[in-house]
Amino acid sequence: MSRADVALQLDDVTVAFDRDVVLEGVTGTVNAGGSLALIGPNGAGKSTLIRAILGLVPVERGTVTVLGRTPVAARLDVAYVPQGDALDSEFPVTVAQVVLMGRYRRIGWFRRPKNSDRAIAMAALEQVGLAPRAGDRFGILSGGQRQRVLIARAIAQQARLLLLDEPLNGVDATTHDLLLEVLATLRSEGVAIVMATHDLSVAHLACTDACLLNRHQFAFGPIDETLTAPTLRKTYGAHAVLLAGDSTIVMPR
Amino acid sequence: MLHLLTDPFRVVFMQRALLELILLALVSGPCSVFVLLRRRAFMAEALTHTVFPGIAVAFFLGQSLLLGACVAAIASVLLLGVGWRDGRVDHDGFLVVIISAFFAVGVVVVSRGHSFASDLTALLFGKILAVNRAELVATFVIACVVVGLLVVVGKELIAVAFDPVVAVAWGLPVRFLDVVLNVVIALVVVASLKAVGTALVVALVVVPGAIARLCSARIGWMMVIATVSAAVCSWIGLAASYDASLHHGIRLAAGATVVVLLTMTFAMVAAVTAVMRVRDATP
Repeated sequence: MSRADVALQLDDVTVAFDRDVVLEGVTGTVNAGGSLALIGPNGAGKSTLIRAILGLVPVERGTVTVLGRTPVAARLDVAYVPQGDALDSEFPVTVAQVVLMGRYRRIGWFRRPKNSDRAIAMAALEQVGLAPRAGDRFGILSGGQRQRVLIARAIAQQARLLLLDEPLNGVDATTHDLLLEVLATLRSEGVAIVMATHDLSVAHLACTDACLLNRHQFAFGPIDETLTAPTLRKTYGAHAVLLAGDSTIVMPR
Repeated sequence: MLHLLTDPFRVVFMQRALLELILLALVSGPCSVFVLLRRRAFMAEALTHTVFPGIAVAFFLGQSLLLGACVAAIASVLLLGVGWRDGRVDHDGFLVVIISAFFAVGVVVVSRGHSFASDLTALLFGKILAVNRAELVATFVIACVVVGLLVVVGKELIAVAFDPVVAVAWGLPVRFLDVVLNVVIALVVVASLKAVGTALVVALVVVPGAIARLCSARIGWMMVIATVSAAVCSWIGLAASYDASLHHGIRLAAGATVVVLLTMTFAMVAAVTAVMRVRDATP
């Protein structure tokens, strides 16, 4: 694998807040077109790792390299879809406008979106099956539809690395299947994906690799080798109840 | 009927007053939409207090009141930027510290003067009918700066207002954008002081945007509606106060009449749109 094909390189990444180490020694790579599932209990540091990849939290030790650059230098090529839906449902924007916002950084200050930007946004909306809703207000959509719009906004950004925090949490079945398909398409186009998830079956369906985290790294590598009952038991510790569905957890697709 | 709306403007001072208010509508309309989207109404209210010491000191030193208001407003915006960055005291708490500090300084300065009474009234409630040519030019310059700033950062401000978390991840300078918006609010507040006074100036910076949101969920249309409603209320308000004092012997403060009309418009639009909502919801 040449350097150019490495989308994300984590080398002994350690993050601390006021000397309190919240994440330690994360090491591994994600290639272009690859997809990594971040697996771990609440408070394991999954979101913190995503924020470190975005360059939003300082790294105490180690390095994060995004597309051969520092996280801050690579921001234009990194798309991020945060967890949950904290957005104001009364906000006066249409679905199309939300997706078009994904173009804003490329358009730059002062300039207005061009027709080509609108076409890219519309194609992204088409990809998530919501083109007919382009003119509707964002706030009237269902939770799953909103998630699809936010993914479309990320697609419109034309990023090389896509970061997702619990992307399929609480979405409807249609959205679930559709988004898995969209993520597969993006990967076939060479986009690398990193997603934090609680859902081990989603990890199996959407990801080639997994990183098991609980403050420090328990495993990092191909999903069949890392997402095993012993490593899960180590990662989740006493929360063995999570292993109750062992057969479904390690079920091959 | 129409002559009631046109006759008063045969007089020069009324023409100037109308021109001043139309200029203000052109900036307070778009500005109020951003205030609404970014939830900065309380910030606007705070600025009406923090400009006070600037005006008082300027008066004391015999300098331009507008300049004094500008300096005080910008100083308070920058201080808020620093204090909010620190984060140990929450936003509202720090805001109140700044408001009371600035206002107290203003009161101390005023209490040392002698001839404040009449000027203070003008300051509190505006003196739109006394607007002169120089003040019109000043308002025009401020309007150009405000529109310029909003054109440069408008779409980024909207993106930040909609999704601040992702805006930060994109590398948008969210704090800087908020400072720019606060400067815009400060400039509009300062420009509107002569027209409606510190007590009511916040109405111009908030109410048109609120009316617009009730009418539309499209940002572009909201800007148009906010601007038009501010302009129309100004026109009718001025004409009504002129007519009332000339023909009926009732003295209506022009600036306050405009604000009353704006809030009445808000109430009517709110009632009508609420009824329409209920009617649409029931099959």
